[in-house]
Amino acid sequence: MTTETRPEYSSVGKRETRIEGAGKVTGGAIYAADVQVPDMLHCKLVHSPHAHARIVSIDATKALAIDGVERVIVAEDFGQAVKDGSNPAIDASNRGAALLAHKQAVFTGEPVAAVLAETPSAAEEGVEAVEVTYEVLPHVLDLEAAMEDGSPLARPPVSDIDHSEEEAHVTLDVDTEEAEGKPTNVASHVSFTRGDIEAGFAESDVIVERTWRSASMHQGYIEPHATVADFKPATGELTVWAATQGQFMVRDTIMRTLKWPETKLRVIGCELGGGFGGKMTLNSPLVAALSVIAGRPVKLVLTRAEDITAAAPAPRAMINLKTGMKKDGSLTAIEASVVYGAGAYPGAPAAVGALLGTSFYKWPNLKADGYEVLTNHVSVGAIRAPGTHNAMHAVEQNIDEMARQLDLDAGAVRLQNVSQTGDPMASGQEFTKIGLDETVTQAIEHPLWKNREAAKAESTDTKMVGVGLAIGGWLGGLQPAAAEVMLNNDGTVNAVTGVNDITGTNTSFAQILAEELNISLDQINITTGDTKTAPFAGMSAGSKTLFTVGRALREAAIDLREQMFEVAADRLEANENDLELKDNAVSVKGSPDQSLGMDRLASMTTGFGALYKPLVGSGSIAARIQAPGFTAQLVKVEVDTDTGNVELKDFAIVQDVGFAINPLSVEGQMEGGAVQGMGIGLWEEYIYDDDGKLRNAGLLDYRMPTAADVPDIESLIVEVPSEDGPYGARGVGEPSITAGGAAIANAIADAIGARVSEIPATPERVLRALGTVGDGAEAAGS
Amino acid sequence: MRRFDYYRAISVDEAIALLNEHGEGGMLLSGGTDLLVQIKEAGLAPAYVVGLSGIDELRELRSNGDGLHIGAGVLMHEVASDGTVQAQYSALCDGAGVVGSRQTRNMATVGGNVCNAAPSADTGPPLSVLDATVHVAGGGGTREVAIDDFWTGPGRTVLDSEVVTHITVPAPPANAGSFYERHTPRQIMDIAAVGTAVYVELDGDGNCSQARIALGAVAPTVVRAPAAEAALSGGPITAARAAEAGRAAAGEATPISDQRGSAEFRTHLVEVMTTRSILHAAERAQG
Repeated sequence: MTTETRPEYSSVGKRETRIEGAGKVTGGAIYAADVQVPDMLHCKLVHSPHAHARIVSIDATKALAIDGVERVIVAEDFGQAVKDGSNPAIDASNRGAALLAHKQAVFTGEPVAAVLAETPSAAEEGVEAVEVTYEVLPHVLDLEAAMEDGSPLARPPVSDIDHSEEEAHVTLDVDTEEAEGKPTNVASHVSFTRGDIEAGFAESDVIVERTWRSASMHQGYIEPHATVADFKPATGELTVWAATQGQFMVRDTIMRTLKWPETKLRVIGCELGGGFGGKMTLNSPLVAALSVIAGRPVKLVLTRAEDITAAAPAPRAMINLKTGMKKDGSLTAIEASVVYGAGAYPGAPAAVGALLGTSFYKWPNLKADGYEVLTNHVSVGAIRAPGTHNAMHAVEQNIDEMARQLDLDAGAVRLQNVSQTGDPMASGQEFTKIGLDETVTQAIEHPLWKNREAAKAESTDTKMVGVGLAIGGWLGGLQPAAAEVMLNNDGTVNAVTGVNDITGTNTSFAQILAEELNISLDQINITTGDTKTAPFAGMSAGSKTLFTVGRALREAAIDLREQMFEVAADRLEANENDLELKDNAVSVKGSPDQSLGMDRLASMTTGFGALYKPLVGSGSIAARIQAPGFTAQLVKVEVDTDTGNVELKDFAIVQDVGFAINPLSVEGQMEGGAVQGMGIGLWEEYIYDDDGKLRNAGLLDYRMPTAADVPDIESLIVEVPSEDGPYGARGVGEPSITAGGAAIANAIADAIGARVSEIPATPERVLRALGTVGDGAEAAGS
Repeated sequence: MRRFDYYRAISVDEAIALLNEHGEGGMLLSGGTDLLVQIKEAGLAPAYVVGLSGIDELRELRSNGDGLHIGAGVLMHEVASDGTVQAQYSALCDGAGVVGSRQTRNMATVGGNVCNAAPSADTGPPLSVLDATVHVAGGGGTREVAIDDFWTGPGRTVLDSEVVTHITVPAPPANAGSFYERHTPRQIMDIAAVGTAVYVELDGDGNCSQARIALGAVAPTVVRAPAAEAALSGGPITAARAAEAGRAAAGEATPISDQRGSAEFRTHLVEVMTTRSILHAAERAQG
């Protein structure tokens, strides 16, 4: 759906297959775990078996006696790796600095020692031979219990909260208070208020108050974390190959942690086997430090179980939500207590949850509190739109339920109340130009929504059919970026950026260059440089890669074109304003015989005795205006009321992408996020035992949907151009994950007439909501 | 993965000799879809591994009027796609056809599934209701073990430095039918939270003359449900009698609570799934 007329484009807006695809499917792509360096040691980590324990002693004697084991390194050793001799692991209160646990382990699986050996097998045997004596401490796992006065503390008081992962995804204009005074497990608190909520509830015709829970989940990347670091003692050069979404963030983190000069630090972001917010810096500073201490290259590749257990999953949330509505469908007030489990190091997106959960509708009165709570679980990291799916699950079930109780159309109610361009968010910041209204409009005109009564009529005695709708969205991140575009001697174009291509962005970059230089894609090469060779670019995160780096490349291409025109104008004795770039040549408009081919032009700027300077286009941008992207999603489910199984029958995702530079890639992002939303709704969940040990640390019992579980997905692109994005593009990657879980929960409620208060909606939770299993306490119903 | 010695046997006798020679701590490797994953990811550290894939006689799948012979090394895919198994031993086809993924079924063997002795094994309840016999060879010769006596606990069997050579299943009469289903949250690549297998024989009046019901994943081993069998036998297979047998089966299950579901949930599933499986098996018997 195009909502505004736009120029005719030659390249952007066309469906293009990914330029790096062939290398990936033929095995040619180099991932971090593929990197082999001569004389390399292999690292395996000793993990704490306890959720909370004091480390009394670590004895490596037996491990060091094993053939092939070279070193066993503990937290106290890291001073040897830091330029000024300080040790970041001592009393570290953020996960990034806690290279290995110091004095106490605060979650099961926390690394407490690193074994370096000549082979991975020897390292593994070494791990089993390291003798660690622990004194078990009281642990706290439950979010509510952790917030009570007198709860055991999950960890020593926090002095420094690292929100860099969250901030890599979204630029928030809010102040978070870090907890002060008596130590508690509440690491931070954020609060938003507007109007008078009591007055708002007083004028409501219906009030729904419920507590909603959503599970901690893995980001679902298939490639486990992998890092290789190579320190050369002779030169002081440190080179790191990392599986990361942001090589400059890895560089800067190592610089800060090890006080390492960036002139002596090269980070090479390898081809990435999935990130989804989970591939930031995790083990890079550790492996860098290990290589410096050992004086040899070191490789660390996590196993699947280690990655699931001890990387940085997305947080669980507990959201108490009270909302009111009038008979005419208008909203009156929202009161939200939003609690995110951070695990044992702070960094959970409670501010995002509190803000976005109360900003997508026009609430005249609101009070939202976000709490980040520490427990003895693995600390959390970012995920695609961190924190948002948890919040949307709560808000969208409440909206749906209020509409049901007032016998209103839940789609029309949403359209009536969604935020518009210029409306304030809960923080007071105004929305830039957004297309939420257009997105909801398209969703509720879709046959899946319009024909929902007919769908329900397909139900049988034990197979109940329902249709659900939910909205979601993401504000998008902002970060400066630069890029360079160079004219080659044969008239083709090389470009360099420093941003890791995780979603096909290099293909879209090539389309931008092709558009601006009026050449074909096969005349363009995009190189992802490393942190020593590429101009700065931010992370591939926050739905901002194309939004920011794409702008820089477009500027660089325009710069190159202008430089070409400058040479051509001199050569052709023409005015620059009379020139055009067409058919691989710069020509005088209307006089095609007065023309200079790009190859010829290039040779005039590079050959021996050439008269003109080499042509290098530079683009460098500051990003200040967000371009939020919104989605509305529809799902039809069939619930087996005997077994509780929920089968997804049909799915549609509508998303405002501003402008789809590569619609094929945009649809891929929409479908991928939709599938993750299905995982959130039905399957994906960290399950812990009472001692804080993860019970499903494998892809069998940590269930991501398979192709057989996923229905056809219809992707409907809405294009409401953004103010600042290239050609009007918005961030595309993250909005798609935010609504699926909520839509599925609403569809289940539509089918069975009872609400599942906790997602994923496993068969057992569905039967408990129905009252078929359990004492009926869970069957609070709708 | 820990280092271990690997021996590849080319005959059953050689495999037995290797087990006797190297003693405790050895593991037999058939398709490897359970064992290798446990070694690589779950910390299993066998002292040594004896590979069976080079033993041709373990790969034989044949049937005649007396019954079915399944070599221990026959693949899940081969069993599930065999016309005779599909027609006469349907529950086994149901079970073998849902193990893991397509890739798993092209590697995994029936013998491996039985010897791994998981209570959730998808060929377990079908082989139980089809009255299978496990044929075992060891240093002292060969012996036959009824399938219901073969498993002694989760991951434990009666094997003692022995190798399973094949499994036999008696041919069912024409008026028999069998069915297996499992409950998994996902459609594929999953493991049974509950599995139910039912075998019924109908007499000339359409009454159930023989019923065998087995449950997976709700006890330390695959178990039969004799009270449910008794409730079903001797009368017509109606929805009401099937439901009564289902309730009886639920009373015979002793599930644990784990990451695949609570005991309460699994007990409920035993009831509804046994009921459904009885009706499906009866349809096949009439078919």
